[in-house]
Formats: sequence, C-alpha cells, structure tokens
Amino acid sequence: MNCRECVEHLYEFLDRELTPELERQIRDHLEDCPPCGEQFDFEELFLKFLRARCRTQGAPAELKRRVLRELFGE
Amino acid sequence: MDEKRASFEREALVHLDVLYRVALRLTGNGSDADDLVQEAMLKAYRAWDQYQQGTNAKAWLLTILRHAFINEYRRRARHPETTDIDAIEPFAVFSEIQDDDPQGAFFDRIVDDEVLRAIDELPEAFRETLVLSDVEGLSYQEIAGILEVPVGTVKSRLFRARQLLQGKLYDYAVGQGYIKGTPA
Ligand SMILES: [Zn+2]
Repeated sequence: MNCRECVEHLYEFLDRELTPELERQIRDHLEDCPPCGEQFDFEELFLKFLRARCRTQGAPAELKRRVLRELFGE
Repeated sequence: MDEKRASFEREALVHLDVLYRVALRLTGNGSDADDLVQEAMLKAYRAWDQYQQGTNAKAWLLTILRHAFINEYRRRARHPETTDIDAIEPFAVFSEIQDDDPQGAFFDRIVDDEVLRAIDELPEAFRETLVLSDVEGLSYQEIAGILEVPVGTVKSRLFRARQLLQGKLYDYAVGQGYIKGTPA
C-alpha cells in the first residue's frame, strides 16, 4: 500500500469501518511511514477532541419530567 | 407498571440525552429542541408496537426525530439552506499546522461553546452527518439509514464536514493567537 491509498482510507480506518484485512494493511503502512502516521494521529486527536467537547450536554431535567408527564400522565 | 411503558423506558428513554443533543444541533436553540424531542418521544411511544425490541432503538428514535424536524421545524427555520454544499472547497488544516503544531495542541485551547458554534455554522447536510458520527458515534450504515442516503454519501459528507470544521476552528485559533498561521 502506498501513501495515497493509505490516506484515502484515513477516516474509514479511524471510524473502524474497514475490513480486518484492509485495516491490517493500513496498520502495516503506518508503522513504516512516519508522515502518514503523523497525519492519522492528528485526525484521531481531532475526532477525540470533538467528541469530548460536544457530549458534555444532556437533556435538561425539566425536559425529562415533561416527557414523562406527557407520555404517562405523571 | 405496564409492559409497554417498562420496555419504552428501558429501550427508548435512555436515549433522551442523545436525542436532545441532536435536536439542539438541528434546531439551533434549546426551546425548539425541547419541543422537537417531546414531539419525537410522543410519536415513538405511539409507534412503539411497530418497533422490534432489541434492535436499534437509538437509530429508530433518531429517524423519528429527524422526520419530525423536517416536517415541522425546517420550513420555518430562520436560516434556510442556501449553500451549495458541492461547491465548498475543503481546507487541509493538517498541512498548515504539521510543522508548528502537528499534535494539534491548539485544539485544547478551544472551549466547548466555540466548537458547538462552529458546528452550527456548517451546512445542515454536513452538520447532521457529523453530529451523528462524531458526537454520537453511529456507524456509516446507521447514519445512511437515518438520513436516507447511500453509505458513499455519508462518507463524502463526513470527509468534507470534518475538513470544513477543522478549517473553521483553525481560523478561530489563528484569530485568537493560539497558533500562528494564515486564516483559510
Ligand atoms: Zn505513507
């Protein structure tokens, strides 16, 4: 696998959407190719950052009460 | 407690936080998000007999939520979609920062509200795809089902949504002086 093919699958790899065989080929390439490795690390870090920043908020307690009231009349 | 209610609480109500976060990104404000979630939960409870228990309740609920959004909220949205999303050029942030900040340390300085604001600026088709994937962790297949588009479309939207969002956050970080560089 060359760098172009490797980077083409970057997000599918990070999203765990590849077949085990393709995933292994990418892993092999990343081990031998620091530039691709750096790019994958950066994108992985970005996705972790995104999830951490955006999941702090949950449904307000009042909304939970409202849904229960509407559905079950309490 | 009757069986219908018990199973709905067990399988559906546990996803209230997910529904609320997605509703917030779709509608852009808390009060509409409350109403949208309420509406979706009501529709889901009425249709609960049609849901196959033990399958994918989260994806099923998100499909209902999105339909409710399209039918009742989108048409009166303050910012109707005018962007031609195919014309948007992605900006490769990594190639800009790989010499100065390859670990993306500047991200750490960007607060939650700023990230959410940047997501809210994305075109709707990109925003909903990115939120379902990157915030809520759904698979390409699940997202394709909810948005009723092919998996290939999910992939290409996700690619461009991520690049676009990185570009916005990079611009912001440059503007704040968190990182040197030229805005995209
Ligand atoms: Zn390479």
